[in-house]
Amino acid sequence: MRTQWLRNTWKYTWIGYTAARSELAYSAANVSRIIFMTTVLYVFMRLWSVVYEGAGTDRLAGLTQAQMLWYLVATESILIAMPRLWYEIDQDVRTGALAVQLVRPLSYAATHFGRSMGERLVRFAMNLSVGSIIAILLAGPIQFSVTGVVMFLLVLPMAFIIDFFGALLVGLCAFWLESTQGIALIYSRVMMLLGGLMVPLDLYPDAVQPVLRALPFAAILHAPGRMLVAPSFELFVECIGLQAASVLVYGLAAYALQTWALRRLFVNGG
Amino acid sequence: MIKQFIDFLKLAAAYVRLNFSAQLEYRGAFFSQVASMFINDGAWVIFWILFFERFPVLHGWTVTDVVALWAVLTAGFGLAFGIMGNGIQLASSIAQGELDMWLLQPRAVLPHMLLGRSAPSAWGDALFGYAVYLGFVRPDWSRMVAFVLLSVVVGIVFIGFGVLSGSLSFFIGHAGALADQWRHAVVSFSTYPPTLFQGGVKILLYTAVPAGFVSYLPVETLRSMSLVNALLSVGGAILVLGVGVGVFYWGLRRYESGNLVSMNG
Repeated sequence: MRTQWLRNTWKYTWIGYTAARSELAYSAANVSRIIFMTTVLYVFMRLWSVVYEGAGTDRLAGLTQAQMLWYLVATESILIAMPRLWYEIDQDVRTGALAVQLVRPLSYAATHFGRSMGERLVRFAMNLSVGSIIAILLAGPIQFSVTGVVMFLLVLPMAFIIDFFGALLVGLCAFWLESTQGIALIYSRVMMLLGGLMVPLDLYPDAVQPVLRALPFAAILHAPGRMLVAPSFELFVECIGLQAASVLVYGLAAYALQTWALRRLFVNGG
Repeated sequence: MIKQFIDFLKLAAAYVRLNFSAQLEYRGAFFSQVASMFINDGAWVIFWILFFERFPVLHGWTVTDVVALWAVLTAGFGLAFGIMGNGIQLASSIAQGELDMWLLQPRAVLPHMLLGRSAPSAWGDALFGYAVYLGFVRPDWSRMVAFVLLSVVVGIVFIGFGVLSGSLSFFIGHAGALADQWRHAVVSFSTYPPTLFQGGVKILLYTAVPAGFVSYLPVETLRSMSLVNALLSVGGAILVLGVGVGVFYWGLRRYESGNLVSMNG
């Protein structure tokens, strides 16, 4: 039993490893993301300069202007590192490639999980490295604490897993919809808006903050971002709890949807 | 000249009708793309409303100005690529040698090819632009008329810029990714108040990344109802379109057929 579990883990880790190596080979796409990130960081550096100047304070939501930019580096690095998993599943369903995947001695979801994590780790590392260089040039360095970095690294894998389940749920909609492109766009915008991608949730209106903090999007973007620039043990505990609940709910929903979707699958020979 | 223009408008109307019919064959996909783009744009506007609730004025710009910025940008973008959808993928079409089909037809190559496809999600942008301007900004009649005209002007800037960036493929091979990034940069800068940028960057925003013509001048026109700003917007659009068309036909001399065999219904 245990040997089987270890063998499976090794199998999907290997898939992740090959995906990571493949990601490293396609530098054009990485350059593209770097240009995008540079543009976003520059625009927000200007935006926050004007806001801080207008507010006449050196701290907003407990963050200095430099910390605000570094928060964006963390959240943006997480968000744009996500591979287009929904598109891959959409294509698998539409082209019939799914039938080939299902006869392999591999779990469909776990294969995508391994591949997605491999690609995501490489992208995230690149985004964070380049983003950090840009942030240093635009706003200067900030002080990191060892505890903060450790807490950030601890919540990061769970954030990736929740986002994976979210993308899997969107991709599985291909069994019912003519195109999942629209729903994927809405999902990413909801994440951006409700997860605190560009502005920490602490700056949202007081009335909506408790609701937003209880949503899984906060566990993917806001909490890890905040943990990197202004860590606190309370936030860490809150984040771990939210992430555990989110993984459970998203995971069960993804399992149920996949089971339901596969029941609708008709494979024609050819 | 006028006869040619009217002839072109008739062709454009026929293509819009045909492209619509083609898209409605996949009704679900079409409406979901339109709706999702509408929601996408709406999410950005909600973000700005929340932002301005905390910081009410940004160097003289209020939430209404930023919403007007989004409205004119999305309406212009939507009109441009809803009608001339091939403008978005010109770089790939050139690189893959897909111009052959258009070169063989008895029409001017560039406008004919641009009209050949419609981007479904662009209609969501267009719908959003007009709806949010009417619903949120609540303009008087003169401003609404100015908005409609300016959205056409912004559409012309997008088409000109799309042709310019896409034509890079004539010179450097497959420029699809570069053209996309260039367009994203224009859109990104166009969605923030111009008062954020100063010095050299401002020059860049009226030249290499023409966000100034996409949204800043049109919004200034709507704010002040100034004829000078309106003329500058129109002048900018003609300039960007002129440069784009010039570079396209210059590059077309270097074009080599892809010997691509394809069926076009």
